[in-house]
Amino acid sequence: MQQFVNVTLGGLSQGAIYAAFALALVLIWRATRIINFAQGSMAMFTTYVALVLIEAGHSYWLAFGAALLGGLVLGAVVERLVIRPVEGGPALNAVIVTLGLFVAFQAIAALLFGSSFESFPAPFGLSGFRVGEFTVAFTPFSAFVIGSVVVVMLGLVALFRFTDVGLRMRASAFNQEVARLLGVRVGGMLTLGWALAAAVGSLAGLLIAGGNLVHPAYMDGVIVYGFVAAVLGGLDSPGGAVVGGLLIGLALSYVSGYLGSELVTLAALAILVAVLLVRPHGLFSRAAERRV
Amino acid sequence: MTKWVRRRRTALVAAVAAATVLASACGAGGRSEGDSGGGAADPGITEDSVKVGAHFPLTGVAAPGYSAIPTGAKAYFDYVNANGGVHGRTIEYVYRDDAYNPTNTSQVVNELVLQDEIFAMVGGLGTPTHSAVLDFLNSNGVPDLFVSSGSLLWDQPEQNPMTFGWQPDYEVEGKIIGKYVKENFPEAKVGLFLQDDDFGRDGEKGARAYIDDQIVAAERYAPGNTDIGPQIAALQAAGADLVIGFNVPSYTALSQLTALRLNYQPQWIYSNVGSDPALVGALLGRFSEGKVTDSSMLDGAITTEYMPGVDESDDPWTQLWRKVWDAHGGEEGELSNYRIYGMAQAYTFVQALQAAGPDPTRQGLVDALEQVGGELRGPAFVPFRYSADSHAGMSGVKVVRIKGNGSEDLSPVQVTDNGDAEITEYTEEQATPPANGIPDVQPAG
Repeated sequence: MQQFVNVTLGGLSQGAIYAAFALALVLIWRATRIINFAQGSMAMFTTYVALVLIEAGHSYWLAFGAALLGGLVLGAVVERLVIRPVEGGPALNAVIVTLGLFVAFQAIAALLFGSSFESFPAPFGLSGFRVGEFTVAFTPFSAFVIGSVVVVMLGLVALFRFTDVGLRMRASAFNQEVARLLGVRVGGMLTLGWALAAAVGSLAGLLIAGGNLVHPAYMDGVIVYGFVAAVLGGLDSPGGAVVGGLLIGLALSYVSGYLGSELVTLAALAILVAVLLVRPHGLFSRAAERRV
Repeated sequence: MTKWVRRRRTALVAAVAAATVLASACGAGGRSEGDSGGGAADPGITEDSVKVGAHFPLTGVAAPGYSAIPTGAKAYFDYVNANGGVHGRTIEYVYRDDAYNPTNTSQVVNELVLQDEIFAMVGGLGTPTHSAVLDFLNSNGVPDLFVSSGSLLWDQPEQNPMTFGWQPDYEVEGKIIGKYVKENFPEAKVGLFLQDDDFGRDGEKGARAYIDDQIVAAERYAPGNTDIGPQIAALQAAGADLVIGFNVPSYTALSQLTALRLNYQPQWIYSNVGSDPALVGALLGRFSEGKVTDSSMLDGAITTEYMPGVDESDDPWTQLWRKVWDAHGGEEGELSNYRIYGMAQAYTFVQALQAAGPDPTRQGLVDALEQVGGELRGPAFVPFRYSADSHAGMSGVKVVRIKGNGSEDLSPVQVTDNGDAEITEYTEEQATPPANGIPDVQPAG
């Protein structure tokens, strides 16, 4: 029983991190209709920026803020300098460019920050809460992770559903020509979409790094599971991304705890294939509406 | 699936081997004017130099600690070169990064053998990594000395005549740990935390030989998967109050972090390879906030040792390593147990090269090691088991408790062999280092 509780709680906190990452993918998908494979590398990069600041003696929260801001700027810069020139061409071009960025960022990080493992501090305690005589695998930091993810999800829902900017972002992503005719500054919207997505990605990077070891490739696992989570949720729905993230986190934790840790990657693939066979557009998507 | 991969690998090896034959046939033709020396027909050796190579994880999950080993070996080779080399030859040492990924290992070892044309492999690191190149090195007749891993795979002289182990193998270490637990923690419920490959399997085999009935759970982690929460939770749920870990150092840090999260406080025993307190302390250092300070997290954990470490500053071997490091590596960082490991391995290689005589060939090096390897003495507490029938490395360890960055002895040095061999106390006095720090082994035969 205790093991079940701990494996479940561990899965939930891991799942929250996958969800944060999936949210960034959903955001960029809704805002630009591109899948950004470089998301994880960019997040890793800003996490290292935070680590450098912390090592220089600044507080965790200053570094946290700087990394989010850094993500915002990095996203905008990448969109303007690298993605913009390929945006008019076939959709695949931009995706391939993001794959290139993924490799490039890791290489640059290894050059700048070294490729050894470093520990990354957490702002809250890392010992689990006590319930009666048991200690459960749920720490103050896990609570912070889940809280942040919920806040970001609600923020995104609000952005796309209730704000003018959100509507314009969706319009630009949906049909640039029409949006332009209606007076939307499409270029600005795309940049904004990238910037916001990179900031959310940075948050995911910081959340997974907290109380753990980081190195230039530490996001690789999260990237894969985050993608699975986003696709499970339907790529279009922030709520779906969070549910997908938590499901994947839980499922992988059970697989690892009860079947064996070597099966985790296989299980992620099996879940992805199974879900897509039953619901080809993900659990939460209403894809039919898009086929105008 | 394994079968398929293996078949593909065999095909690859065959293709590469064929290419090698071609390459070396061409190479021999072009090179003949350069080397007129007697035994210098083999690649990588000339009148005044001998080139050796190795693969190490300089990046990635196994890099912490292990990436420092080649810097130690390099420093010792430089020291020997500065003092005249071996039989007048300087030792050239090339090492490449495989990131602890067997696919990369195959590639970098190909480069070492075909492009750099090394004479011998010395100290290539890792069980999963090195097993990927075992066939390749042996079918190419490259001496594959002193693999930096305690797997039993390196001791198969029939099948892999060129490969030799070095450190005590994990089965021997597991047996000695198992016996210690049986005698000192007879009531303990034992959990095993194992890397899911030969490293964990060999250790488990050794431990089970003594405490099979005490083991309540065996959890395995896949290297690369850093979320080990479920594994540690399973050990805790099984009620294990003593956990033996056969894992690499970064997983020692992760297991401590995860245990902290679960408030799980068993008696930890880590195998020698995963237990360096300075390294684990550095990895965990930043989680301080008063709760975790430096190496205190490993204080009280039990591990094993087979040669004097960096903290034993009175030991003549440690003093030698410090002298070598200050002269030839100092600017790269502090002397550490990993660097000492590299230096000690380099020391053994110098002994082997001396034993191979003034005109060594690849086969001659292997033959010499089989003849006199069992008599070589160096920084290790125990001798090697080398002979014509055995390519196994050191025969034993002592059990110690980690205290700060050092350790205190819990048991005398014990030796044994694989399988049913008894564990006995080893009483021979440890050798002292030669005055000039360079071994003086007479040519064998």
